[in-house]
Formats: sequence, structure tokens, C-alpha cells
Amino acid sequence: MSHGFLSPTGVEVTFLLVGVVTLGAAVVSVTTRQLVHAALWLVVALGGLAVEYLLLTAEFIAWVQVLIYVGSVVVLLLFGLMLTRAPIGRSPDADSGNRGVALGVAVAAAVALVWLVVDAFRTTWIELDGASAGTTEVTGESLFRHWVLPFEALSVLLLAALVGAIVLSRKRNADVDAASSGKAGAARPAGPSTRTAAGAKAAGRAAAGRAAARPGEQGAADAASGDAGRRAEGGER
Amino acid sequence: MTDALDVTLRLLAVFAAFLVLPLVVGQTEHKVMAHMQGRLGPMYAGGFHGWAQLVADGVKFAQKEDVVPAGADRRVFQLAPAVALLPYLLVLLVIPLGPGDAVGQAIDAGVFFALAVMGVGVLGSLMAGWASANKYSLLGGLRTAAQLLAYELPMLLAAASVAMAAGTVSLTGIAGAFEWWWLPWQIVGAVVFFVAGLAELQRPPFDMPVADSEIIFGAYTEYTGLRFAFFLLAEYAGIVVLCGLTTVLFLGGWHGPFGGDGLGWFWTLLKTAALAFVVIWLRVTYPRLREDQLQKLSWTFLVPLALAQIALTGVVKVVIP
Amino acid sequence: MTPSASASASASASPGFPGSGLAKGLAVTLRTMMRKNVTAQYPEVQPELAPRTRGVIGLFEENCTVCMLCARECPDWCIYIDSHKETVPPAAPGGRERQRNVLDRFAIDFALCMYCGICVEVCPFDALFWSPEFEYAETDIRELTHERDKLREWMWTVPAPPALDAGAEEPKEVAAARRTADKLRQAEGQAEGPAEGEAP
Repeated sequence: MSHGFLSPTGVEVTFLLVGVVTLGAAVVSVTTRQLVHAALWLVVALGGLAVEYLLLTAEFIAWVQVLIYVGSVVVLLLFGLMLTRAPIGRSPDADSGNRGVALGVAVAAAVALVWLVVDAFRTTWIELDGASAGTTEVTGESLFRHWVLPFEALSVLLLAALVGAIVLSRKRNADVDAASSGKAGAARPAGPSTRTAAGAKAAGRAAAGRAAARPGEQGAADAASGDAGRRAEGGER
Repeated sequence: MTDALDVTLRLLAVFAAFLVLPLVVGQTEHKVMAHMQGRLGPMYAGGFHGWAQLVADGVKFAQKEDVVPAGADRRVFQLAPAVALLPYLLVLLVIPLGPGDAVGQAIDAGVFFALAVMGVGVLGSLMAGWASANKYSLLGGLRTAAQLLAYELPMLLAAASVAMAAGTVSLTGIAGAFEWWWLPWQIVGAVVFFVAGLAELQRPPFDMPVADSEIIFGAYTEYTGLRFAFFLLAEYAGIVVLCGLTTVLFLGGWHGPFGGDGLGWFWTLLKTAALAFVVIWLRVTYPRLREDQLQKLSWTFLVPLALAQIALTGVVKVVIP
Repeated sequence: MTPSASASASASASPGFPGSGLAKGLAVTLRTMMRKNVTAQYPEVQPELAPRTRGVIGLFEENCTVCMLCARECPDWCIYIDSHKETVPPAAPGGRERQRNVLDRFAIDFALCMYCGICVEVCPFDALFWSPEFEYAETDIRELTHERDKLREWMWTVPAPPALDAGAEEPKEVAAARRTADKLRQAEGQAEGPAEGEAP
């Protein structure tokens, strides 16, 4: 099968179109002045990315992308935005003086990545008609046969982040406990800041498949229950 | 040509199921809830025991004015019901009714697809909550988000357990590999999955995000007419999807005591209906969980249980290869 | 079936098996579902009313002497009575003329009536009765003042009084009638007896 840029197949055309949409959504999401709109455009961008994965036959990665990024990270983001400040309409302070620098970094990163990918894969073509190269089985095999060391290293990293989040949140609670030790059972102020909670939960989610995530739940759960403002379980720790 | 016809027929069948099954569940809820409370439920619409009540409701919703609050974010507000509803349609596409080809569209990573797309549906509630320019809606959206974050993890872990047991993440594959003794083996995972799914659908007793005594109707407070109906339809489609998924993952899908594969569709539907009844039953029986109880239940109870189930699955899998 | 320990208050109620409280709740709803429900499908199915239901008041005009007791005892003054006097010629020649009350209007305003039943209780001549009919709602409140003819119509819906228990004391009307009859018979017998005795 000959491959040429001048005789694109349907899949290639779709790939390009989705890519354009994804890029556009990403650009809008960093330029819009409306915070929540930015998050929603991010959904479009991440979803577009999932479609690209799908077109590249990496089915498993595509669904995981949707599960983790669209279903969880953006929800977390929106949660954080709603908890803090998300006015309807423009946010006057949704701009930064570092616009130029950010643009530079973004372009540099893009160039580096594109150069790297182009250099690495050059004329490698994915055979769309043959056996799928991105099924769960293939992905799992390559992950746990050839890339098991990086995988483990990553999980240790995530575990470290988890433990760190717990340590951060517990320390503050200990202070509060010391301060209000006289009033057992009295209502206590809400727990650690939502960002910490969010971080812990995101990490917990990322490490979902691993039993190692277990110690993280307690801290994240307590932090999350701060949403209700009722923390009756004050004396638990 | 036959391919196109096949695809069209499948899509039409799934779409018809998507339109009919939630209404059936809704009508069942009307009647079962009424009888559990010593009432009769709807008796007029359609003549026979009010069978057309939900059709009448639909007509009523269609006639109502579509109001967008003045302070709302118009586009997001109007888009939200579609975002809430469509994911369930997509999930319904991959739930197998019987062995082999009796599925809308077989997907290799079906479990992941189903759970991922179900998670997207919550975005609709979040968008609605934020865009309504109403503090109750915003609170409802916040609670929705907190609930999703808390309960998606145990749901995923429970599904992972059964995927481990079957050695595949394809829904058809999992149901195909089912043996009767999986039922006691995976029962904890099944309960965790089902409870977490209920919470994700915001069904009572996990309906804190729409607690009418506190925040009116949560994220849907400002909605009227068809858009509101879409949210309601999404809830009932969610019940169908959750019950279907639980059936396929934990109850063996089309496997039945007799009838073989020919009656597969019947067993799947029967199990799904039984689970839907349980969903309604739980709604009638239990009072609403408070927000902190809700979070505690997930993080301190369901997640450890799901992890224990995964451990058990792993041990059994290693011992009995 | 599911976690009770952290979520519900059932644990405190009974110290049994964890989740038994939750199961009990499920059992209650299931039992209720199996039981016959209590809904009254009123417009389709008429209610079964007790024989002494206070639905509406019927007037048996023939018994009314316009004594006005009902109108005076009525707590919310919802009975309207008009009448005039008529002179009745003497029953027997040489007798005295008598006067009697003739009813012109008898109306009950059911918009005011509170269904206490005092009028029925107080009527010494058994002219007022309770009827179980209750479907006389109107769109105009003035229509709720039922005039004489309407009250008479209601009279025909009054159910027969419930039968007495076996071995009960006979009603005093019947007893009085019997006593009169007995007395009459006795008087006749006595009248015949002495007459026969006198004759010889």
C-alpha cells in the first residue's frame, strides 16, 4: 500500500479535521476570558484527543483518556472553579501579564514535541486494515513486558504524591486538634483546602488500579466531606 | 450495502430501546412506589392502570415554555441537557443483549468505554448547575461533582475486579466467561458496583445533589419543558444502563437456568428488570444520606471493600488458574 | 444487604447482624406492596358510607309544625323558616275554630351548615333526617341554600333506620301504639261486658 500526502484516505482526512478542531478548542480554552468556558473547551480538546487516539487504533488509550481526563480531571477542575470563583460572563482578572512568556514556552514545547515525534517515527505507518495495534491486550503486554520499570517508577511517584498530600492535610488537622482539644465533640471548621483534597483525589484516581492507593482514601475522603461543612467525625483522628 | 443496512438497523434498535426502556422503568417506578406506599399510582392516562402516564407527561413537557433565566449563561445552559442525556445512549450501544452478535456495537474495551462515557454524563449536571445563575443550582452542581469523584473510584475498582476474573475488558467477553460460581465470588464487587452506580446516578438514597428539601432540585432547578424532561430521561436511561451493566458484569448477562443462547435476550432483560426493581425498592425504602455520610460511605466503606474484592479475585485467579 | 455501619442509624436500633436494619426496611416496603392498598377511587367507585353518615339534611314537611326549635338551636343560624297562621274550621259542628301554622319557606344554607346535627336531634316531630348523599357541590355559593322542594327531594334518599338488635326493647312509638291498642281493646271488652250484664 502506497502512502502519499496527496492521496489521503478518509481516516487521514478525519484525523486532520479532528486535529484542527482539537487545536482550535485548545486555543480558545487558553484565550477565553470566561473561566468555566475555558474548562468546557478543555473538554472538547481532550475529547478530540481521545478521538485521535481512536483513529490511531489505540482504543484502550482513548477510553482511558475519556475516563480520566474528561470524566474526572475536568470535573475536578469545574468543582474547584465552582468552589472558588466562577462568575457567569467575563472574569476581569482572568488574564496574566506573562502572556508572552507563556506563548514562548508553549511554542517551544510544541516545537520540541513535534520535532521529537517526527524524528522518532518519520515514515512509520499504522496499518489500519490489519490487526489492531492498540487493543487492551497489546497495550497491556507492552506495558507490563517492555515498560514495566517506568510503570513502577510512575506508580511510586504517584504514591509519593498521595502520601505527601495526606501528610500536608493531616498536619493542619493536628494543629486544629491541638487548638480545640478542650472542646471535644464541638463542630470544627472545614478541613484542608479544596485544592489539597482535589490533588489527593486526582492522585488516588490515577492510581486507581493499584492497591497501593489504599492509604490515600482516608485523607481524601475527609477532605471531600468538608464540602458539606459538617464534620461530625472530628474526634476520629 | 448490507453493512449499511445492518448498522442502521442496529442503531435504530438501540435508539428504540433508549426511548422505550427508560419510560418502562419510569412507569414501573410510578406503580411500584405507589403500591409500596399503599397507593395506586396513576390510573387515568391511557385507560388501563394509567399505562400512558409518562407519554402524557412527555406531551405536557413538550407544550411548556422553554425558559432561560436572564442571568444564565445561555449556550451552556441550553447545551447541558444534551450532554447529560447522550452518554447513556452511547453506553446502551455497547451493552450486549445476548451472545455473539446481539449487541449494538461490540467494543474491545467495553468496560472502560461504558464507565468513561457514563462519567461524562455528569458534566451535563455540572454545566447546568453552573450556568443557571442560581445558588441552589450551583450547590447541586458542587454536590454532583463531589459525589461523582467519590463514587467513580469504587465503581471502577469493582469493574476491574470482574475484568480480572474474566481476563478481558470486553463486555461480551466478560459475560461469556461467566460461570455460576462467580456470583458468590464477585458478590462484594457486585454490591459495590451497584451502590456506587446508584450514587453516580444520584438516585435515592444518594440524591443529595437534588435534595428538594434543601436545594429545590439542585442543578435542574431552573429548567423547564423539554430540557427538564431530558434530564429526567437521562436519570431513567441511567438506571437502565446501570442495571444492564451490572447484569452483564456480575450476573452473567445472557446465561440462564434453561433455554440456552436462544433465550439469552430474555435472561438479560429479566435480570435488568429485576435490578431496576431493586433500584426503585431502595428509593422507596431508605431516607436520603447526608452529604458527609455520603462521602464517608464511599471512601471508608466501598473503596476498601472494592480493594478487598480485587485482592480476593487476584488470589482466586492465581490459586485456580 | 449494603453497608449500614457507617451510613444509617439502623445499627443503633438492634444490635443484630450488621445490615439487619436495612433488610427490615426493605421487608416493610415489600410487605406493603403485597398488601391491598387503601386508595379510594371516588369518582369511579362510590364510597361505602356508614348508614348514619351526615351527608345532607332532608325535610319531611308533613311532620313539621313550624315550632322553630331547629332554627333556634342551630349554632350558625343556617335554617330559614317562614310561616303564616291559618284558621281551621271546627272539626265538629259547634266546636271551636283552631289555628295552625302553615309552612311557607324552609331552607337550609349548606354553605353555613357545620353538620352538627343538632336540628335533627332537637326536632320533636321527626321532620328532619340525615341522608348520606354528599354530591351537591355547586359553582355558585348561593345555590347551596337548599329550599323546601330540594330538602324534600333529599328526604327520599334517607335510608331506612337500621334494624334493632334481636331482643332489644321495642321502639317507644310502637310500644305506645300497642298500649293504646290494648287499652282500646280492653275498653271495648269492658264496654261489651257490662252492657251484656246490664241487659238482663
